[in-house]
Amino acid sequence: MKRTLTLCKALIINWVRSKSGMFFSFLFPLLLLLVFGSVFGGSQQVRYSLHVLNRDLDSSGNPTNLSEALIEALNSTKSFNLVLAPSNVEPLEYIRNNTNPFSSNVRLLIIPEGFQERVIRGSFKGQIGVMITFMEYSLKSLSGNISSKNKTQIRKGLEEMKSVNQSLPDVKGELTLLVDPSDPNNNIIKGIIYSVVNAFSFKLIGGKEVVTLKTGNYTVKTYTPVDYYLPGYIAAFIMTNGVMGVTSLTTDFKRRGILKRLITTPLTKMEWILANIFSQTILAILLTLVMVFFAWAVFKVTALPGFYSWILIFIGSILFSGLGMVLGGLIKDVEAASAIGNAIAFPMMFLSGSFWPLEIMPTYMQLIAKVLPLTYFSEGLRFTLILGYPQGALLDFVVMGCLAAIFIFLASAVTCWREK
Amino acid sequence: MITMLAIEVSELVKKYGEVVAVNRISFKVFKGKVFGFLGPNGAGKTTTVEILEGLRQPTSGSVKVLGYNPSRPEEASKLKWKIGILPQDFNALDRLTVKENINLFCALYGNRISAEELIKLVDLGDYKKVRFYKLSGGLKQRVGLAVAMAGDPELVFLDEPTSGLDPRSRRETWKIIEGLKELGKTVFLTTHYMDEAENLSDEITIINKGEIVAHGTPEELIENYGGGKRLIIRGDGEVLNVLLGETGEKPVKVGGEVRVPFNKPSEAVKILEMLSLKGLNYDFEVEKGSIEDVFLKLVGAKITEEGELK
Repeated sequence: MKRTLTLCKALIINWVRSKSGMFFSFLFPLLLLLVFGSVFGGSQQVRYSLHVLNRDLDSSGNPTNLSEALIEALNSTKSFNLVLAPSNVEPLEYIRNNTNPFSSNVRLLIIPEGFQERVIRGSFKGQIGVMITFMEYSLKSLSGNISSKNKTQIRKGLEEMKSVNQSLPDVKGELTLLVDPSDPNNNIIKGIIYSVVNAFSFKLIGGKEVVTLKTGNYTVKTYTPVDYYLPGYIAAFIMTNGVMGVTSLTTDFKRRGILKRLITTPLTKMEWILANIFSQTILAILLTLVMVFFAWAVFKVTALPGFYSWILIFIGSILFSGLGMVLGGLIKDVEAASAIGNAIAFPMMFLSGSFWPLEIMPTYMQLIAKVLPLTYFSEGLRFTLILGYPQGALLDFVVMGCLAAIFIFLASAVTCWREK
Repeated sequence: MITMLAIEVSELVKKYGEVVAVNRISFKVFKGKVFGFLGPNGAGKTTTVEILEGLRQPTSGSVKVLGYNPSRPEEASKLKWKIGILPQDFNALDRLTVKENINLFCALYGNRISAEELIKLVDLGDYKKVRFYKLSGGLKQRVGLAVAMAGDPELVFLDEPTSGLDPRSRRETWKIIEGLKELGKTVFLTTHYMDEAENLSDEITIINKGEIVAHGTPEELIENYGGGKRLIIRGDGEVLNVLLGETGEKPVKVGGEVRVPFNKPSEAVKILEMLSLKGLNYDFEVEKGSIEDVFLKLVGAKITEEGELK
């Protein structure tokens, strides 16, 4: 054990004194957390830009009351940064002139001329329709309390109202939304405008809300995107340190004869493997502490690693340094080892849900994620480090534990302690 | 039974597929001696050394190193505690200092000897805080020598210890190797440098194409294969003409001098007397044969600085 710890210490010192090693092991994960956390982790509501071309003007050239009310309703959602276009502009020309490849897409909502008049006429028909329905319902449900004479008069009045309503034209105030089909926010924007328009119509016909939706948090703690990124980044960079770091260290030691020199000392193969695992575990612990402190200092995220988090980090270090030693044992060329390490680590990093939730990925990619060890590492760390619910990480512990055992066995098998 | 043998190799064969790297070689190395294993690149030197160190398995033959059979894993594990190794192109952990690297290897051997002692042995006191990657080739080899001594070994394998070093670094390395001999260590020195083998070794084995060509002390080899001694005579044109015309041996004119081989001292005296009787002015010296001559005679080629046959 003393030999293992001595070699472990030497490997760590050698690693820590490497500028590139320090950058990719510690500084790069912090920079990523800072950038992603700042971009996606803010509490401010997202606002989409929306251009409005209001052609519904009164005789003096001012916007009509209803068109203005609609614009105010859109503004009150706090979802849009509204930009009013000149009322006499040609829509496509306006879009062309305002399109800038370096800013957001131009979305143009057109309020047509005569909008107010059509809405009033349409809402009048709607209001009469609501009144007919209401009176028919009253007549039916209150028939015992109404005299037969009154009933007859009401029925007569209802017939006349129906006749008038049928004679009224079925008009609507039609809005047009011009969007770029490639705009990824199209559906969100359409949905918000649709809700505003519905509520606007509903109010115009004098309706009252009979169904309401209240929202509330179901946990005591409020989670931010950084709560999601933090365990994902810790897992991802423990993985890259193991897969890429150990692979290149092993191949470099082989190429430069250092491994052969170590083999000729009393150091055993298992001591060599353990020294690598321990050094990666200590680096993983340092990385976790630095990331957790940084997340707390910059984003006020409180995530104190507990017993289960450390166990999972230890298992992760075994698993990925084991994988690194397997690759290092099989590959002779340093450049090839680096390329293969990258080819394994980077896709795994992006497909495993470390950087974004699996739910937003296509189904086939989610299936791929299910066979990647990093998926279980990230998920397990979210349960233990952020949610404080280690029971939820049971599957992650089992999968990672089994894979760690397999990779250590394979590492031992492919690490050649004697030439043929 | 106490044996004086450090290494005993008998009928050793190593094949890589169809290629025979070492072909039925046998030799013995005595304790406390420097054993020179001389040959060009690809002769089978490193393969032999790695078999002796327990790093490679022989195809056939028997090997005993300090009484252990290195091809058996359990015996090789015990042997590792008793041998020290300086491989060809020694490397260590780049970003560790000289002292940290030596400390690491001392710890791997259970700290039998301190890093400071080893630093003193190889005269690296001024460099002990310098990181390994900043050292010159000669200084790196010295770290390698210190590391080879980290387990206070009985037997030290030095595989091409001065390969690629400048003359000054080579001389300094030789001094350290001589120091090891004074400490009573057995040294197995693999080299392609003739002068190195000749100056440092008590016994030399010449290997070429996987086979042993000759074995003996440097003196024995030169005596048997080095072509005896040469009288080198310098003088004016008449002296050279007389020598070329009248000496019975086969004089060779090289520049402004003539080299005359001789076997007995009386033959040399006779030649010099003849020149004196003719009243000629000359100047002379006696040159011994060298291991280079031995190699040239046995293999029919010289070894270049890079270790290739020429």
